[in-house]
Amino acid sequence: MLKTLIDNWGMLRVMSHFMKSIGGVKGLKLFSQYDRYYTAEAVKAALACGASCERPGNDFQRLLFDIAKRRLGRCPPPEVERPREPMPALMREYFEMVEDVVVFRACELASKPVRDVIPEEEARALYQALVSADFYKAFRVSLYLGTGAVRWGRVLLIGAGTQEPLDFLKACELAGAKCEVAAMEVDEVVYRDLARLAERRGFKAYLGWDSLEGFDGAVAQNVLHWAFDPLDVLVRARRHASRLLVSQGVIEDSGIGFVLTYELGAVRLLSWREVEALAKQAGWMLERRYAKYPDYIAVYTRREQRR
Amino acid sequence: MSLVARFRCPVCGATGELALGPEMLEEARRAGAARAVAACPRGHTVVLTLDAYGAVRSAVPALAAESSRCEVTDRAPSFLRGKLQALVEKGAATEEDALLLEKAKEARWIVC
Repeated sequence: MLKTLIDNWGMLRVMSHFMKSIGGVKGLKLFSQYDRYYTAEAVKAALACGASCERPGNDFQRLLFDIAKRRLGRCPPPEVERPREPMPALMREYFEMVEDVVVFRACELASKPVRDVIPEEEARALYQALVSADFYKAFRVSLYLGTGAVRWGRVLLIGAGTQEPLDFLKACELAGAKCEVAAMEVDEVVYRDLARLAERRGFKAYLGWDSLEGFDGAVAQNVLHWAFDPLDVLVRARRHASRLLVSQGVIEDSGIGFVLTYELGAVRLLSWREVEALAKQAGWMLERRYAKYPDYIAVYTRREQRR
Repeated sequence: MSLVARFRCPVCGATGELALGPEMLEEARRAGAARAVAACPRGHTVVLTLDAYGAVRSAVPALAAESSRCEVTDRAPSFLRGKLQALVEKGAATEEDALLLEKAKEARWIVC
């Protein structure tokens, strides 16, 4: 408990509303326990359908078993009891999604390509359900308020999707800050929805990196695990902004979330140390780290600015 | 402290729950009250009025949109059915809900 408190002290302090709603440090520990439980359940479901820890038959099995080894120490996993303590409502919303989309489909996913189990249209609908879920909206609004990103001036939301700009604008409204927001997306289908939103809500939307201007700050909120080259994302961000807020779900305490997003199109898992190493390699200097896990949260400045 | 608003469904009497985000409480604090749409465990859509402490001041049934001839199909994931049912009955109140409704139709979770 003490380690969790120390590792997430900044988040507990600056995102206090949100943290209270998930039960504070105790809530973070409970989140980890439920994550372990659902990871074990998903692995058991896959193994019951003929999957093998030693010889994973497809990418889904490889990812799931890799996460099981990291989170539970081994595969096949040890018996993990369902935590007795009930979840706070916001957390329950997330794990109900995990149960439905990951655990209940693990058997099928262990034997078929992911798009045979979850067709493209369904993946996009699940993506919209995920990003617009109450827990995620509450987290993001609290993140932008707590880290002060709403007062950075002109802000670029990298890989914004369809919900992040709405949440950023909501945070600006709550803070009474006059924000100038731009949102960039590399997925053309998502961009079409984003562009419609941008027109209605009065922010700029960009498709890809090419036409971007300069910004006071940028936000990479749960973007890196979708990127084929996360270092490239961070290097490009550095060309366009002098400050960067990174918020990234990481393998420590939140493994099953990667399986959920993998089913929707994400491509990798990351640890908080990997995220930090990538940011430094891209030329960012750590200004303040708020949390290590389950969501790594830190603010960076462009390195040459301090020289 | 877990922020959950409990309400009694005005249609069937079942007890429902709604998770409250900080922005909703902030809105109630600012405006004196906040409105939220929730689905009771039996699927009735309810409009709640909440105060700044998250307490439910009123719960009234939402009227089904006259033109709605849509329905939630078995293909819809179970965690989302209550929300989709509420959207079908009441319509989307926010931009994210409108987008979810659109995507749910494309995924054949809702047919009209």
